[in-house]
Amino acid sequence: MPVRTETKSGVTVCRMDGEIDINSSPDIKKVFDKLITQKTPKIVIILSNVTYVDSSGLATLVEVLKNMRSYGGRLRLVNPSSKIRSLFEITKLEKLFDIMSNEEEAVSTFS
Amino acid sequence: MIIKIPSDIRRMREVSLKILGSLKSYDLDNDRMFDIRLAVEEAVRNAIIHGNESDKAKSVTITYWIEDDKINVVVEDEGKGFDPLGLPDPTANDNIMKNSGRGVYLVKKLMDEVEFNAIGNKLKMTKKLK
Repeated sequence: MPVRTETKSGVTVCRMDGEIDINSSPDIKKVFDKLITQKTPKIVIILSNVTYVDSSGLATLVEVLKNMRSYGGRLRLVNPSSKIRSLFEITKLEKLFDIMSNEEEAVSTFS
Repeated sequence: MIIKIPSDIRRMREVSLKILGSLKSYDLDNDRMFDIRLAVEEAVRNAIIHGNESDKAKSVTITYWIEDDKINVVVEDEGKGFDPLGLPDPTANDNIMKNSGRGVYLVKKLMDEVEFNAIGNKLKMTKKLK
């Protein structure tokens, strides 16, 4: 599970592909731990190409959100598939996460 | 069919692949395949990590069959069991930010029927295929 990062208009955009599960979560955590150590203020995670998320993957995203909140950072998720979005609904995590459908909008309105 | 694996999470995928492979003739949509895969992997993961406490000397036994257009999957570990009714609600405000506790909840939400044996080391889940 590679995580590719770039900066756009002061926002760190992280693109994830494939599966966010118990096997890939440790590597994903390493990437975000580094961004969190640097107190990265605004992160957008693009989920368009993510095909599978399990409870470990959800826990990883919750941990990123929790850690970012500890220093006032803000996180947005963009364009999960309808199935993955339904997992956020079932688990009520949609209440915690700012989930948007458009990457440009997510970045440009992140002021 | 019966699959027996050691308590190694790297073996979970082969279990879900075999079970999904047995459903090819049903031509299921991706969402239903996703639900079955996730429920199976969460149940096997719980059996490995919580049931068998990742003791590789202990096994997880997965039995599955199709009957009346339903897939039935039984996951049994060699652990002491637990009280499934005592699990906290992961959607409650006090729990929603926790890093764990969503596995069994997801299994119950994604499958049509889920039941545990009396001591809690054996889970049976069922999902309609039509």
